[in-house]
Amino acid sequence: MKIHNHIFSAALAACCAFVPAAARAADLPPLSHSLTMQAPKPAPALKLKDLHGRTLDLAQFKGKVVLINFWATWCPPCRREMPSMERLSQAFKGQPLVVLAVDVGEDPDTIEAFTSQLDTTPTFPILLDTRSHAMQSWKVAGLPTTFLVDKQGRIVASAIGGREFDHPEIIRAIKELLRK
Amino acid sequence: MRRLTLTLLAAWPLAALSSEPSIDPETGLATWQAETHGIQVRLTQISPDQIRGFYLARGFSPEATERYARECVFMTVVRNIGERPIWHNLANWRYVSADQSPRALRSKVAWAHLWKRQGVSESARIAFTWAQFPATQVFAPGDWNQGMTSYSVPRGGHFDLSFVWQAGGRTHSGKIEQVRCADENS
Repeated sequence: MKIHNHIFSAALAACCAFVPAAARAADLPPLSHSLTMQAPKPAPALKLKDLHGRTLDLAQFKGKVVLINFWATWCPPCRREMPSMERLSQAFKGQPLVVLAVDVGEDPDTIEAFTSQLDTTPTFPILLDTRSHAMQSWKVAGLPTTFLVDKQGRIVASAIGGREFDHPEIIRAIKELLRK
Repeated sequence: MRRLTLTLLAAWPLAALSSEPSIDPETGLATWQAETHGIQVRLTQISPDQIRGFYLARGFSPEATERYARECVFMTVVRNIGERPIWHNLANWRYVSADQSPRALRSKVAWAHLWKRQGVSESARIAFTWAQFPATQVFAPGDWNQGMTSYSVPRGGHFDLSFVWQAGGRTHSGKIEQVRCADENS
């Protein structure tokens, strides 16, 4: 098992070494801070296991605002926006805001290899959409894609591409939802 | 004939805005970019070794990895830099390489069939699917996305890419010219 992990880690290092290189070459667009508000519509079901094997169900968060981010470790903008999700989560600590990250198609070892490199390890739940069924039911076309769900369990905003989640504009939008 | 041409131009505004590639000093890989009518499209070379590193690490067999590494692969970024939503469909994009007629990009679905026939595992196929540029997507102002696109062009070969999108009820087209595939040793 240890040898397997070493091989896996080497492979992971090889794969992730490529991502930043390509990202640098492309001089990727900056993380933006806009949310596309939309007419409220019921959010699809979301019931997945987290990194620790606990099942989380979106339905259990009714009465709270939920930010749901679909991502993967190999996706450069997903990696870039992750620290701002943690800052957002910390900024609203004690308030009815839940941040959920839904990883597509990766295992806990791969995810933890990435999150352990971050300055601050995410404290919000990371859910495993191993077979990408949730992404399909949420009609996610590409990564990262983020949804904001209101207290009634309705999607009210979305964002395609990387975001700076603790930007004042996004914080203002969330505060407004919390007030409703 | 002239009227027909004018009508077509009105219905299908064309823009051929491409620039000299920028070269990453560290990797030597080149990026082409076009900006027109509220859209920005970027293509950055991905070297065969980067492809191998990425897909072998995601569970592809060496054979399947080599099949994809034979393609000319680019990290592709599309960004809405305008003020209206834009909609793209990769099926409408075309590329032209030397002495060839315009060709459509091989779709994610076509690749998925190939990988299934080659016995690539489901988890590896999922990784492949989500690493490709989305087949179709609506971008609100400020939205952007990235993923791989691939072209059947030999190493070091050139092609012109016509990208197509819709905004405000009109179809637009832009072009990036003389895009070059990464060399084997990039």
